Order: sequence, then C-alpha cells, then structure tokens
Amino acid sequence: MISYVFWGSLALSGIKEGMLVWILFLLCQVGAPALAQDLCQRDAPNGYKVRISLKTALGEDAYEWNQSEMFFFQATMAFAMRRHFQMETYNVDNIILCVQTSRVSFWFVVTSPDNTTMLIPKADVEKAVRMSRHRINNAFLLSDRTLEFLGIYPTLAAPVNPDTPPWLIVFGVVIGAVCVGIIALLISSLLQKRRKEKGMTEDGQDEEDMQVKGVENGINLDGTYNRGFTDDDRFTKL
Amino acid sequence: MCAQDATMGKDAARAEWDNPMQFVLACVSYAVGLGNVWRFPYLCQMHGGGGFLIPYMLMLVLLGVPLFYMELAIGQKMRLGSIGAWRAISPYLGGVGMASVVTSMYLCLYYNVINAWSFWYLFHSFQSILPWAECPVNSNLTGPVEECERATPTQYFFYRETLDISGSIEENGGIHMGQALCLLLAWIIVYLFIIKGVKSTGKVVYFTATFPYLVLIIYLIRGVTLHGSINGVKYMFTPKMEQLAKPTTWINAATQIFFSLGLGFGSLIAFASYNQYNNNFEKQAIIVSMVNSGTSIFASIVTFSIYGFKATFNYESCLERVRLLLLNTFDLAEDTISLENVNHWIAELNRTHPEQFASLGGRLETCDLEAELDTAVEGTGLAFIVYSEAIKNMPVSQLWSVLYFIMLLLLGMGSMLGNVIAVITPLSDLKFISHYMSTKTLNGLVCLFCLLLGLGFTTRSGNYWFTMFNDYGATFSLLFIVLIEVITVCYIYGIKRFEKDVEDMLGHRLNCYWKIMLAGVSPILLIALFIFYIVNYIQGGTPTYQAWNKELGKSVVTEYPPYAQAFIGLLLASSVCCIPLTALYTYCKKRNLASGKRERTVSTVSA
Repeated sequence: MISYVFWGSLALSGIKEGMLVWILFLLCQVGAPALAQDLCQRDAPNGYKVRISLKTALGEDAYEWNQSEMFFFQATMAFAMRRHFQMETYNVDNIILCVQTSRVSFWFVVTSPDNTTMLIPKADVEKAVRMSRHRINNAFLLSDRTLEFLGIYPTLAAPVNPDTPPWLIVFGVVIGAVCVGIIALLISSLLQKRRKEKGMTEDGQDEEDMQVKGVENGINLDGTYNRGFTDDDRFTKL
Repeated sequence: MCAQDATMGKDAARAEWDNPMQFVLACVSYAVGLGNVWRFPYLCQMHGGGGFLIPYMLMLVLLGVPLFYMELAIGQKMRLGSIGAWRAISPYLGGVGMASVVTSMYLCLYYNVINAWSFWYLFHSFQSILPWAECPVNSNLTGPVEECERATPTQYFFYRETLDISGSIEENGGIHMGQALCLLLAWIIVYLFIIKGVKSTGKVVYFTATFPYLVLIIYLIRGVTLHGSINGVKYMFTPKMEQLAKPTTWINAATQIFFSLGLGFGSLIAFASYNQYNNNFEKQAIIVSMVNSGTSIFASIVTFSIYGFKATFNYESCLERVRLLLLNTFDLAEDTISLENVNHWIAELNRTHPEQFASLGGRLETCDLEAELDTAVEGTGLAFIVYSEAIKNMPVSQLWSVLYFIMLLLLGMGSMLGNVIAVITPLSDLKFISHYMSTKTLNGLVCLFCLLLGLGFTTRSGNYWFTMFNDYGATFSLLFIVLIEVITVCYIYGIKRFEKDVEDMLGHRLNCYWKIMLAGVSPILLIALFIFYIVNYIQGGTPTYQAWNKELGKSVVTEYPPYAQAFIGLLLASSVCCIPLTALYTYCKKRNLASGKRERTVSTVSA
C-alpha cells in the first residue's frame, strides 16, 4: 500500500510534489507509533496496570517473561474483547503495551478496531476482563492473586450454604448418644431395684445382714459419733 | 435406740470410692482445670518467666499443700458434705459450709458456659476449612465483612458468630440458639457423669483425669516441632529476676496456688467424705498438689511453644507484606528482595529513592518479633482466640483443633464434676431433702436449675455477665471462707483435737510442718492476701469491663452501670454473709432451746 502511494504520487505530480508527499508519508510512519505511545502511558486515563508474580505462583517452574509472552498477552486481551463485544474485528494491534518493568508489570490500553486513535473506555475494558478473567488466568497458569489487573477486583466465590449446618449434624449425633446412655442407666438401675425388692420380700435374711453390717461398721461411724460426743459435752457443762 | 440404729444403718450405706485411686484421680481431675492452661502461662510471662517459679513453689509449700491437707482431713473425718461437716466442727460456724455451697452454685452457673463454647468450637472443627480461618464474604460478594476486616477472623468468629455479642452490658438481646443447645448438651453430660453418685463419677474420672495429659503430650511434640516455637519457649524461660522484687508477683503466685487447687468450694470436703476412714490422705494431698503444679508448668511449655509459632508466623507474614509492598512500589524483580534482607533493602531504598519512599507513608509496617511475643493474653481470649489462630496455621488444622477442644472439654468437665458434687453432697446430706427424693431426682433437679439460670449467659450480653461472675463471684468470698476455715480448725475446734482426729485416721501424729503451717503461716498469708484484695478493690475505682466495639473491631474499657455494680456487691455479700447470719441464727436457737429445756426439766421424770 505504501509503495502505491509513493509511485502513484510520483506519477500524478512532478518530483517536487512527490518529495512533499514522501516527506509527509515518512512523518506519518514516525508519527503513528508516537501517537500510539501517547495513547498508552503510565497512569493513562483509559488504561490498566497489570502486575504478574510468576515466581510466587510457579516457584521453580516459572517461565521466563519475554516478548513472546507479551505477544501472548496481547492475543489473550484481543480474545477477551472479541468475546465481550461479540465483534470479530479486534486484533493484536489493538492492544498497546508500555512501561514494562522487571517486576513484571506494564500498562495497556485498547484501541477501537475501526479507529486506531480512539481508545475503548475503561468501563468496557473492565467488563471484558471480568467476563473472561478465568480464561486469561488459565492461559498464563496464574490466579487472580498472581495476575493482577490493578483496579479490577475479582468477584469472590459465593459462600456455600448447606441446608443443615455441619455442626448441627455432629451435635445431633453426640446428644443422641448421651441421651441413650442416660436412659440406659436409668432403666438398668430401675430393673436392679425391682430385682432387689423381689429378692428382699422372698427372705428377710437381707434385713438382718444390713443390721449386722451396721454394727460391724460402727467403728467407721465416727462422724455421727462425734456429734453425740459434742452433745455430751454440753450436757455435762449444764 | 431404734432411731439411732436406723441413722447408723443409713450412714453405713454411704457411697464410697471403689478404690483410693479413684479418689486421687477425682481430685486431680478437679484441680487440673482450665486455669492451669490459660492463667498460669500468662502469669509466668507477666512476672519474669522462669523466675516466677520461685514464688510459685514457695506459696505451694506454705499455703497450698497445708490447706489442701486440712480440707481432705475434715471431709474424711466428718464423712459429710461441707454444711454438715462445718456444723459438726462448730455449730456456730455451720455458715461456712453454706457459704461454700453458695459460691459453688455461682461457679456451677457460669463455668459450664465455657464447656458450651468448647463444644461449639469442637463441632465447628469438622469442616474442610475452619470457620475462623478466613473472613466470610459480605452480601454483595465484593469483599470480606467489614467487622471482620477491622478485627481478625478468629476474633470475628468468637465475638460475632459464637457469642453474637452486643455493644455493652446494658444491651440485652435474644438467646443465641446454638449456644443454648451446647449448654444443654454440657449439662446433660454432667448429669450423665453424676447420675449414680460416686459410683458413676469414680469411673468417669479415670478418663477425664488422664486423657488431657495424653493430648498435652501430643501437643508438646507437635508444638516443639513447629517452626519458630523455640522463640516462645526461650522468651518464657528467660528469667527476669527484677520482677521478684514487686509484691504483685508474690500475691499473684499465692492467688494462683489458692484458686488452682480449688480450696474453699467444698468439693474437696465432698470428695473426701466418700473415703474409707483410714485412707492415707496425707500422701494423697502431697501427690495431688505436686501433680497440679507440675501440670501448670507442663502446660505453659506447650502454650509458649505455640505462642512462639504464632508470633513467628505473624512476624514472617508481616515481613512478606512489607516485601511485596516494596516490590510493587519500586517495580523490582521478584527475587531481588527475600525475607532475610527486607530490612537491608528498606534502608537502601530510603537512601536511593527518598521521595518515592516517603510516598509509602503509613503503609510500611514495622515488624517486631518481640512485640508479637509480648502480646500476653489470659483467660477465654487465650483459649478461644489466640490458640485457634495458631491452630488454623498448622498443617491438618482440623485434627489439631478437634484434639485441642476435646482436651479443653475434659479439663472443664473434670472441674465441673467437683463443682456440682460440692453442691449436691451437702444437699443430699440434709435429712429433709434425702427423705423426699432419691439422689437421681436431686441431681436432675440441680442440673435443670443450673441450666435454666445458665441460659442467661447465652444471651447477647451474656459474656459480660460471665466476666462479672468470673471476676467477682468466687475470688473474694473464697479468701474469706478459707480464712475462717483455718481459724476455726486451728483455734475454735483446736489444733490438739484436730491432731487427735488425724492420728485416729492415719495412725501417726501430725508432724511439726503441718502444725506450723496450719496454725501460723497460712492464716498470716491469707490475712495478707485478704487485705491486699480489699485495698486493691478500693483503690481500683469504679469496676470496668472490656466491651466489644463493632465499628472499631476491638475491645474498649467501659464502666459498669450502677445496677451492675449493685449486682457485684450482691454477689460478694450473698456468700460471705451466710457465716455471720448462721452464727446468729444458731445462737438464737440455742438460747430458745436452753430456756425451753429449763422449763421441761421441771416436768419430766428422767433426763
């Protein structure tokens, strides 16, 4: 296309006009990237800063971040824009990157496919990123925490609310077991008492045994005995 | 004659421990409680680490063991609960037993709430992610709940999800259903343990006394193998001898021995009343006191190794955050700054990029390991907030959480057994109660009564009432009760008579250590403690408490409202005034009886 312009202008006008057009053309070539650079800069109003922490995410298996990876990023962002706007016109050239650091971090802006001087507004870029965030993360083997778009906060996973809280289940098991234990003990002691009562009425032997026991244990009853002793003291005083 | 036979027959049927080992384990289970785990390590840290052991051991020998011995002797001799025993020793001072029962009742009411919290945490440990490990998300899914952000996830879980605490003691709320259910479970289990009196209790204490040691050993092994635990243990055991010069150190040592052994509640008297007459309680008193103190020291090693782990973890997280902040602000490659040279880089960057460094402003934190270790906490804050924070960072945290809360439960339940038996034994000894209902019914009624009143501690302001009971319900009245006990036994009953009784039971005389301690040293120390408490209380001004502020995400010191202060006064007075009131009542009754007898001797033929 460039050569057509050149030959065409040379053919149409004389060499003087051709020189003018050639100079203009050269300026455009130099100016186009300069214009693109003006669009993308640190703290650009419609741009986002991206921060990547490869060593944190992958440790020993971290890959090297080079120009090819940057190209991959451009391709992924173009894909995200296509997906959101449902337009097949977005291309790698529409994603402009700048201000790369060794951290690894950089800024990017997105230009409109119809007009390369017009930037896509920040809000639309954000929507596109949010929609395809999962795919973008997976493309780079990273997560929301290690591939950060500063200003776009990841939506947190909705809390899982089971129908019965798990603690209630454990509680139910424990309290059921304890109640069964209590009922078992109560019933067993009731049965024992009934058996003893039946045994006692059959022969009066047990009652005599209890009396004998009482006398034998008389030595152990110093507690009661002491009280009698204290009373005796009072009587003698009076 | 027949009536006497009947009473002798009834006493002959008094339940007994199956063997002396059950009695020792019951005493150990009662004395080794939550205070060994959460109060002793705090005191150790506050009062100079290893140096604190000196006043602690001294107070054990001068105060703890003799008083413990005395309570066991009384229980074993009189074979009655505290009310009956003290009435037998001196009819005018039967009120001492009554005061013990009232204090034990207060303890029963609020102590089981701790077990309810332990159950709550235990049941919540059966989840893949521990609920206190991370903040829950707020309603629009943009970030964590604000209250949780300002505080920490463990604090949020304790104050909001466990207690649903209100802003102050005046704001009552409804009952927290989860807490109420856990309290119900705790009381049902207590009932299960005491349902058949000492027969069932005797079997339960084999487990409640020994299993906590197993868990402590497992935790010790886990604790010392954790990264950074050595920092905590070193910090604790470095003695700071200058702390010994402060009187507070000695007073705290005496108070800790006193409350840790559970003197004055009547539990020891109740336990000993189920002993054989000739049981060698002297040896057992020494064993139980030593085991109790040994457990305190052992538990503080475990606590401090976990402290060390938590402090190191927080310190390293702080360093990591600073590292990330520097990397992100100055856009340096990831591997330039490592955790070791963060401080070096801070100085370097300050020198080379001063303006950019200044723009960091307040976001740059200072990471200090000593400051992290210095955050000494005691009580429920230690057990439920600090410990659970440490546990959530351990690998396989669910297992450690379950083990830890089972240990807390066993320690708490063991002490609860003693508290409840201290209330039930004197009640069941009273003739008019034992005539109308069986032990099972009495036990059930006491448990039900305590459960219903205890539901008040599960309301939204319940934790504030709990703290009030914990701080004022038992501390002052106990000192007074034990002081009267010692003076009664040594001077009113007479040390000579006591000596004769002990010789009767054990077969050898009291040696002079016991005599000197009981008659001389212990009363003096108790009077000193008593005076100190009164002076401290008067000097302290209006009593205050820590109220949780939702907006700030931390506790603020608040004064008690007037009606709460009146309630504190009521708590203190209600147990203490039993003693003079009963003395007065007995005096009046004897006077009436004496005048009545004089009239009767005129009319009867034989006396």
